[in-house]
Amino acid sequence: MRSRNGNCYFSLRLYTLIFFHSLALSASEYLISYHYTVKDAILFNETLQISRAMQKCSGTLQKSFILDARKEDTLEQIIQNDYINFLQNIHKIGLDVSHTQVSTNIRNTSITSLTLHTTCFKVDFNDNFAKITPLK
Amino acid sequence: MKHSLVLLSLLSVTAFAYGTAIPVQKKEVTPTVKKVYQAPMPQADTKQNITVICPTGTCSKPMNTQNMSYSNVLKTEKEDVLQKDTNMVIGVIGQGVAPMNTSSPAQAYALAKRAAVADSYRLIAEKIKGVRIEGDDLIKNMMVKRSTVRTSVKAMVRNANIVETTFKDGLCEVEMEIVISHSDFIR
Repeated sequence: MRSRNGNCYFSLRLYTLIFFHSLALSASEYLISYHYTVKDAILFNETLQISRAMQKCSGTLQKSFILDARKEDTLEQIIQNDYINFLQNIHKIGLDVSHTQVSTNIRNTSITSLTLHTTCFKVDFNDNFAKITPLK
Repeated sequence: MKHSLVLLSLLSVTAFAYGTAIPVQKKEVTPTVKKVYQAPMPQADTKQNITVICPTGTCSKPMNTQNMSYSNVLKTEKEDVLQKDTNMVIGVIGQGVAPMNTSSPAQAYALAKRAAVADSYRLIAEKIKGVRIEGDDLIKNMMVKRSTVRTSVKAMVRNANIVETTFKDGLCEVEMEIVISHSDFIR
C-alpha cells in the first residue's frame, strides 16, 4: 500500500543511501610505515612510506588526530604541509625501538632505530582538515 | 768528733748537690699514637662525606663518629618499584647532534631533535626493559688482541611526552617523560 504522502519512505531511504555512500567515498584507508635510524647521535636515514590500502583494513579505531588540509590536497601533501605535527602523533601511537652499541677496543659505535610498522590509517577528508585515525 | 765532721761535710756536699743539680726535664707522657685519617673537607655543606677511620681502634672519638663512614658506605639507594594501583613517571634526557652538512640552522635543529628523540626513546626502553650485554675477548699469545662489548635493547614505547627541548652549539637535548602503570604490563 502506498501512503498518502506519496513515496515518503522511498525518498528517505534514497537520501540515507546517498548520505552513507558519500561518507564511504570521502573516507579512505591508507597504509603508512615510518622508520629512521640514528648513528652515533646523528640522524642517518629517514623513510616514510604511504600507500592506499588495496584491501579493507580490519581492526578497532584508535585515538584520531587532525591535520590542516585544503580540499584538493592528497594525504601526501597534507602530511608534507604539517610534517612535525604528523610525526608527533606517530610517536604517540608507539614506535619500536632497537638500539645496538658496540664497543671494540674502547671505540664506541651506536645505532638506534625507531620504526612504525605498517599500520592502517582511516583518513576522513574534509574541506579544511583531514581526520586521521589509526586502526589496531 | 772526727766522725761527726765527716758526716757534716757529707751532708753539706749532698745538700749542695741537690741545690745545684741540673733540673731534669719532665718528659710528658703522651698517649698512644692515634691515627685518625680525615678526608679533606671540600665544603661546609657536604658534612656527610667526611670519613673518620680509626684502624687501631684506640681513637678518642665517640663510637658513632667512627662508624659514620661505614654506615655511609653501606647505605644503598632504594629502587623504585611499580606498585599495583599506582603510576610511575620516568624522565630521561636524550641528546642528538646536528650533521655537519646542513643547509640551514632550522634543518640542523630538526635533524638534531630527531636524533635526540631517538636517544630519549632508547633511554626509556633501557630503564624499563633493561639492556642485553654481550662481551668477547680475543687473546692470542697471552695478549688481548680484541675486546668487544655489545649492548642492545629492543622495546616498543608509546605515549611518551616531550617536556622540554633545548638546542645549543649543535647539540639538541630533549627531556622526555613517560607515565607507566602496573596495568600496562599485565596482559
